[in-house]
Amino acid sequence: MMLFNKNIAFFFLIFAFSVAYFATAFNLGSPISNNRVEPSFFPLLLGFFAVLFSSILLFKEISSSKNKDLDTSNEESQTTKGEKRKTNYAPLLIMLSIFLYILAFSFIGYFTSSFLFVLSIIVIFSSLEKIIQKSIISIVIVLVGYLVFDQLFGVRLPTVWG
Amino acid sequence: MLSDPLILAYVISGFIIGTIFAAIPGLTATLALALLLPLTYSLDVTTALMACASIYMAGMCGGSITATTINIPGAPSSMMTALDGYPMQQKGKGALALGHAAVGSMVGGALGALLLIAVAPFVAEASLLVKTTGKFSLLAFAIVVIIIAQRGKMLKAAMAACIGLMLATVGLDAMEPVTRFTFGLSDLTAGIDLMPVIIGTFAISEILIQTNSSANARKAVEAFSKVTIRRRDFIPPLSSIRKIGVVCYVKSSLIGYFVGTLPGAGGSMGSFLAYAETVRTSSDPESFGKGNPKGIAASESANNAVCGGALVPMLTFGIPGDPITAIMLGVLVINGIQPGPQLMSGQAELIAPMLASLLFSAIVLIPLTLFLLGPYFIKIVSIRKDILYGIIALLAVVGSYVATYSGFQMIMALMMGVLAYYLRKNDFPIITLLLGFILGPNLEEFLRRSLALSNGNPLTFFTNLDSLFFIILTLVFVYFLAIKQPLKSPVKQTK
Repeated sequence: MMLFNKNIAFFFLIFAFSVAYFATAFNLGSPISNNRVEPSFFPLLLGFFAVLFSSILLFKEISSSKNKDLDTSNEESQTTKGEKRKTNYAPLLIMLSIFLYILAFSFIGYFTSSFLFVLSIIVIFSSLEKIIQKSIISIVIVLVGYLVFDQLFGVRLPTVWG
Repeated sequence: MLSDPLILAYVISGFIIGTIFAAIPGLTATLALALLLPLTYSLDVTTALMACASIYMAGMCGGSITATTINIPGAPSSMMTALDGYPMQQKGKGALALGHAAVGSMVGGALGALLLIAVAPFVAEASLLVKTTGKFSLLAFAIVVIIIAQRGKMLKAAMAACIGLMLATVGLDAMEPVTRFTFGLSDLTAGIDLMPVIIGTFAISEILIQTNSSANARKAVEAFSKVTIRRRDFIPPLSSIRKIGVVCYVKSSLIGYFVGTLPGAGGSMGSFLAYAETVRTSSDPESFGKGNPKGIAASESANNAVCGGALVPMLTFGIPGDPITAIMLGVLVINGIQPGPQLMSGQAELIAPMLASLLFSAIVLIPLTLFLLGPYFIKIVSIRKDILYGIIALLAVVGSYVATYSGFQMIMALMMGVLAYYLRKNDFPIITLLLGFILGPNLEEFLRRSLALSNGNPLTFFTNLDSLFFIILTLVFVYFLAIKQPLKSPVKQTK
């Protein structure tokens, strides 16, 4: 169970990324040939240090996870379940909002996609209360954004008609 | 150039935006600059650099507003200001504390800018003496110093620097026609663009981080916003400034300036050291931490002088000292300008207006902004968080589209934002990631060139004097910053 602690998972990902980078650098070929430094030399050097640092960090994180588990259990008792759930999911909801916005940006144009995106961010940071007021604020932000990007700085923003 | 109304408008707007961002807890001038970076595409590079300089200066002094009024520093560089600013506020002298902060910022900012103007050309001349091996050792020195400056989390800083360096190796090799780590994606052939890295690292990750922040700052701001402040309350009496003394202002500014020249040290380190020195040399050290204006003056003089210092290595060697100078370096790189001695001598018309803007911001905009907008600042910073992040999110994502009009760059910004978010959440300093990413290509190029010139002999780094100098300097810094006992808090000393 300890190995699936969230923090350890992140350190494990960093370690896996470092190993993958190191392995890919190996496939770039020999680091030195005829006394000449090849394109794989620097990535191999970096990969070595990355694997070294990430493995030390992973080891340290696993070693200290027991104490962290105790601390977390104390903290949990102080926060309500609802607040914690919102805090946990808010970053993921924002990541999803940004991803969907990027997908919709070119297809449905700046105005509609930006309105929905800004409204979603406002709702994630607050709540669904006063949704009409928040919608109006979102429209104003999108219009100001259009004026700044398109009119003031000459950026071509996508529209539904291309 | 400052006589041009449009350019002046950009400089003033930059200063006000920088002040507001620095004043709002959770936001920083770095974030302001990251969000405004895409807009610099449509500005000429001189105007963009002038606006950046004013944001930089504003960012250093703006943090003192909430540090003093609600004891929550708007920027890390204002942490030491809060130690004496907030006790003054509790005694009903909050506006006066802000006045002292403004005077300190003005003196420090002006001295830092003047020293930059005086010293940078000589450093640029000296940089001509540094050859290929020396350049590699210098870049390695910068990366090592920024890692060891992250006290208590050096290993994480080193890992973050490695990630930055690894990301910089993506794309076409600089010396041979070979692509690396592109995995068949043609969008990656030219490498990862600086713009999505900056926007992702500083803007998107900040939005994600802020979802976990507490509402304490906003509650404190709301409580304080009911207090009425008159403009004249901000002006410190001359006798009080005399009591602080020219020596305190000048010494703190010099400390800030020299700290600024070191990569990674930044405004917080500058103000910490200046504050510690002021406490150490004071005849009344017990009064610090209880509302002594001298503490505010020392802290603010130092952190604003850092602006001038940090621009020295950025302009002369292309080594940014902190995130803001890294973004300013980005403005230069985006416009195809290479920092270095040639920039100082051959393109002085680009740099001189930026230095003038830095000086103008320190001498004119700091006191003027406080006097004119001071009474309203606390109301401005109490803006609703949901609306604020709605605006920031729109600027960040659309901003990442501006550079290449490509959805791929937007995805890259999101990916960098997610990476930076999890790194920050796990206490990794992202400045080392950014510095690694920026310095990576040159570091690799100079390493390979040096080894090629010496037929693959690594001893070349020890036999060339310029390189040996930077290796010894690195060892000295490692000894004093990493091995020797770390500095103790001056606040604990006073208590």
